[in-house]
Amino acid sequence: MYIVIAGAGRLGLILAKKLQEDNHQVCIVEKNEGLCNKLAREISKVMIICGDATYPDILREAKIEKANVCVSATSSDEDNIIVCYLAKELFGVKRTVARVNDPNHTPLYKYMEVDNPVDSTSIIARIVEEEASFTDVMSLLSIKKGRLSIVRVDIPEKSPVANKSLKEISLPHNSVLVSILRGPDIIIPYGSTIILPGDEIIAATLIDAEKDLVKALIGKI
Amino acid sequence: MKYIIIVGCGKIGKLLAIELSKTANVVVVDKSLKNIDSLGDDFNGKKIWADVLDVSNLEAAGVGEADAIFLLTGNDNLNLVVGKVAKRKYKVKKVVLQVNDTVKKKIFNEEGLTIVNRAYLIVEVLKKCIL
Repeated sequence: MYIVIAGAGRLGLILAKKLQEDNHQVCIVEKNEGLCNKLAREISKVMIICGDATYPDILREAKIEKANVCVSATSSDEDNIIVCYLAKELFGVKRTVARVNDPNHTPLYKYMEVDNPVDSTSIIARIVEEEASFTDVMSLLSIKKGRLSIVRVDIPEKSPVANKSLKEISLPHNSVLVSILRGPDIIIPYGSTIILPGDEIIAATLIDAEKDLVKALIGKI
Repeated sequence: MKYIIIVGCGKIGKLLAIELSKTANVVVVDKSLKNIDSLGDDFNGKKIWADVLDVSNLEAAGVGEADAIFLLTGNDNLNLVVGKVAKRKYKVKKVVLQVNDTVKKKIFNEEGLTIVNRAYLIVEVLKKCIL
């Protein structure tokens, strides 16, 4: 594939290297001349255009009309939107992807028909929240507008289900254990699988049953 | 009375806001508090200190009910993005935006968007000076 990346910040650069390793053809457009010179010395096989990607002439120079994908990863949301808009409307690029710098600007990306706005801040916030979470329960995913949710529950020492096999414990209706994370291992549980303190349990539950499920696994809410 | 939103309170935005606020309901939005404060007592309207790329701020400024919106920030790309969205999504009747780059002015020209280019205007005025 031929991919044009606007903006050679940390994200643009990592992406370019990765894509090039996967044998894609990559072109970077960056407006900072000093950075362009540095890139030209550092990475080979990637075409580098020095210029402001929000100008059609620069995009034309990058042969964007031949691109399968246009990725705009600059630190300015308005610039990213304009780059994707031009790529699509003027040059007929099929797929546009952009980095969203400020999550509050996400609706604007949607209104301007950027195919795939990637809100890195929110994604990272969720990962950090999960890693730093003080609660024993973490909602991982909600489906059907939150009616079904996938949750992660840490099993404490005093859990009523600790050291018991699945056969021995009773879970509320409409909830099911999907897997057990124990250190580096991922266990798909059977009736005879024993739950140990310190296990992380991934469970699917309907929203009404979530509280009961947590109660059954932890013993309190 | 007409309801008018002015985004960008630099030299032009400020003058326009003061002028229009004599006869219309004017809301001025700018992300710089200094610019907002510079409006002074001559301005008779509402001031909002906010980032317009966040559509919730645009909505708070009443973009859904506005008769006209002026995009007068010094950032062409911001003016274009917000101008387009004001037209497409919020169906504002008159959308006027300042775009300094002549190439972009041509590309983004579409029905319902009035794009004003400062250099072009000044050239017109200067030409008239020697007629």
